[in-house]
Amino acid sequence: MPPRLNPLSFSRPIAYRPKAQVQLRLQPAARIAPWQCRNYADKTDSAGADRSKRIEAQPLGHVSEEAAQTAKITGEQGPELSKGTPIEEVVKGDKAVVDNLPKVMQDAIKAKQSSSPPKGSRSYSTTTTPVTNNGSMDIGIFNLPTKTPAAVPGAKFEVPSLPLPKGSHVKHRYDPVIEQVTNLLMQHGQKSKAQRNMSLILQHLRTSPIPTINPDRPLVPGAPPPSHLPLNPVLYLTLAVDSVAPLLRLRSQKGAAGGGVALQIPIPLGLRQRRRTAVQWILNSAVKRKNVGSGKTGFAQRFAQELISVVEGRSSVWDRRNAVHKLGVAARANIVLPKRR
Amino acid sequence: MSSSMSLRGLSQLSLDAVSRSAIPTRSLMIAPQASCFSTSAARYANPTMKKKGMGAAPKKGVKSLRITKSNKDAAGSGKRPAPGERKAMRKRIVLSNDNALEVAGLQDLTAENALDASHQGKVRGIPEEAVDALRAVEAFKPRQGWSLFRRPAVLMRKETMELAQIMKKIESSEKSKKESKRIIVYGERMGGKSTLLLQGITMAFLRKWTIINLPEGQDIVNAHTDYAPLPGSQPLQYTQDTYTAGLLSQIVKANQGFLAATKVSAKHDLPLPLSKGATLKQLAELGAANPEAAWPVFVALWTELTQPGRPPILVGVDGLSHIMRESEYLNSNVKPIHAHDLTIVRHFVDLFSGKTALPNGGLVLGVTSGSNSPANSAIELSIAGAEARQSKSALPQWNPYKAIDQRAVECLKNVDVLKVSGISKEEARSIMDYYAESGVLRAQVNEGFVSERWSLAGMGNIGELERATVRLRV
Repeated sequence: MPPRLNPLSFSRPIAYRPKAQVQLRLQPAARIAPWQCRNYADKTDSAGADRSKRIEAQPLGHVSEEAAQTAKITGEQGPELSKGTPIEEVVKGDKAVVDNLPKVMQDAIKAKQSSSPPKGSRSYSTTTTPVTNNGSMDIGIFNLPTKTPAAVPGAKFEVPSLPLPKGSHVKHRYDPVIEQVTNLLMQHGQKSKAQRNMSLILQHLRTSPIPTINPDRPLVPGAPPPSHLPLNPVLYLTLAVDSVAPLLRLRSQKGAAGGGVALQIPIPLGLRQRRRTAVQWILNSAVKRKNVGSGKTGFAQRFAQELISVVEGRSSVWDRRNAVHKLGVAARANIVLPKRR
Repeated sequence: MSSSMSLRGLSQLSLDAVSRSAIPTRSLMIAPQASCFSTSAARYANPTMKKKGMGAAPKKGVKSLRITKSNKDAAGSGKRPAPGERKAMRKRIVLSNDNALEVAGLQDLTAENALDASHQGKVRGIPEEAVDALRAVEAFKPRQGWSLFRRPAVLMRKETMELAQIMKKIESSEKSKKESKRIIVYGERMGGKSTLLLQGITMAFLRKWTIINLPEGQDIVNAHTDYAPLPGSQPLQYTQDTYTAGLLSQIVKANQGFLAATKVSAKHDLPLPLSKGATLKQLAELGAANPEAAWPVFVALWTELTQPGRPPILVGVDGLSHIMRESEYLNSNVKPIHAHDLTIVRHFVDLFSGKTALPNGGLVLGVTSGSNSPANSAIELSIAGAEARQSKSALPQWNPYKAIDQRAVECLKNVDVLKVSGISKEEARSIMDYYAESGVLRAQVNEGFVSERWSLAGMGNIGELERATVRLRV
């Protein structure tokens, strides 16, 4: 293999990326030296890449890229670019370069060559193994694996695989619909009450009989058969809300028609906005329902019954949605698109 | 001016006012009869009818101004719920959910295996007839999660097995000297204390014990039912006839078989005639139908139940701390009556303190409540004392700065305790498998999930576990 160092670019500072070399010594010998692969860098977007069009403005590639380019020109086989290049390989065989290297790198190369234990390593272990919790009290948080091998240098524990599984992010652990509807149910900032109401609503949906779908009021396409709904109350709620959610709202723009007359302009809504509108309609008609029984469960019961009547197509919310859509269709003419150039 | 003078002057003024205002509408005769400062005459007077058709007809084309809505529309024109209907709705107990899946291979408790130790950590169904009895004695509570599952089933946890052991021991004790146990069940809120009582009643029902359950201590002492002094009692005691009649009808429903098959053996002096050779069921029904005779009938029934050769008795009460203090009832001196002076409570308390023996053996369970219990230092002290006795450590000191009910302390001196703590992870796994098979828990039940939820539930508090898994409580 040709030397990777291009003598022409020698004056340029060598890109040095610090590696977790001390940790490497603690790894078992059988492991592949992990610092040779650059897991943190993207293959397609190397350090030297730049979107600049002008050639003189483009930065030079790093050492290996340069070496590869040179090799390509000279018709030889260059270094493999998919992997990073260790520094000692770069400077191998060139004593002058080695002498000019910074002290830390020289030390690192020396340490690598000699098989003696690294400086600062103790003859005794400083880690402790956790005592089995036979005698002590089990509080349920000992289920973490006792030893997690770090696959990636620099990471203390194993790096999680992305995307993270559902519910594992602490701030987004609950279903988005549940979260949004709970917040919309909340009054005076009393979230706990809203959460209790939400739980009661879902419980009511779960114990209510299987809904009969009205073919005149179709639910969102792809809805599961109604027999699946009671046992999946979250889906039931989502289906009810999404089915009556309007696609647009009407904005009345002042003066757009001339002479101070407001013009209705349909504006498309985003997913959360659509759901919010639907929940507020449902809330309005739930509040108007008559309360049967007494106690804390009354509101939740009314809301749940309204949801059921939405799914069954009996609710007046459907009329409201249809009216908005009808107006929206009529107001389509008011949309003024920008002229094409 | 003296105070009496000023009062008279005021009263004169008010009389004048009454007479003056009364002139246009009513006759003058009413006014002098009205006492000073009284509004009764005005309030109870017949409402003055509005004269119709007196005003001029509205002119054509003129809108009459109506600022206020009519009162009828504001109040809602719908039918009002009947008295008690809304409370009945709130306290309704639903024991099945048609949407929940049938759990395959769910075994029922039977008379033969009810007390077996092999149930430990398993979920077992409650048989149909036991469910009826449990419903009759109000062992199911409205806040429990029975309405989520296909049919009632319970987890046979460690404490249940302890109770089963105790019942087994009582059953197998010698005929001449039958054993009886008196236990306070205590533990954390939502920890399953009432459910433990329910399990005890289930096992007792299956083993053909006699069951007497006071479903809620608060209902006895909160002065919602009538009371009357018991003639000839010293110190004075009070009977609650309606409550006792209800209790008798519950006893009849829960112990149908035994009561119907057994004849009255002793002679009782009852205020009502009872036919010769009547069964115990007829005796109890007599009391249930005639509240004024309920207490003598209850005493007679108890005498019959404690005759030699009769089955052991399970007596349970939920909400113990309510009946270990003064009740809401007042005596003739308008002083509160102590709960122990109410005959039903007294009967239970005598059993609980060991003053009255259970000659056929039996179990007296007093269950404390975590969510509805007034602070009761007597119970706390007796629990601490019983714990110290069981662990053979030093007895706790009574805090002299705390108000304590001496009668309650006397009663609770020598009772055992059973602590209901969190369930183990194995038990949690078993109940969560049941949840998942019922279709109400939509998650893969594996070790990680179980221990996560077990920790979330405060180290296996079963109520919290249900909340964290089934109730979808965020």
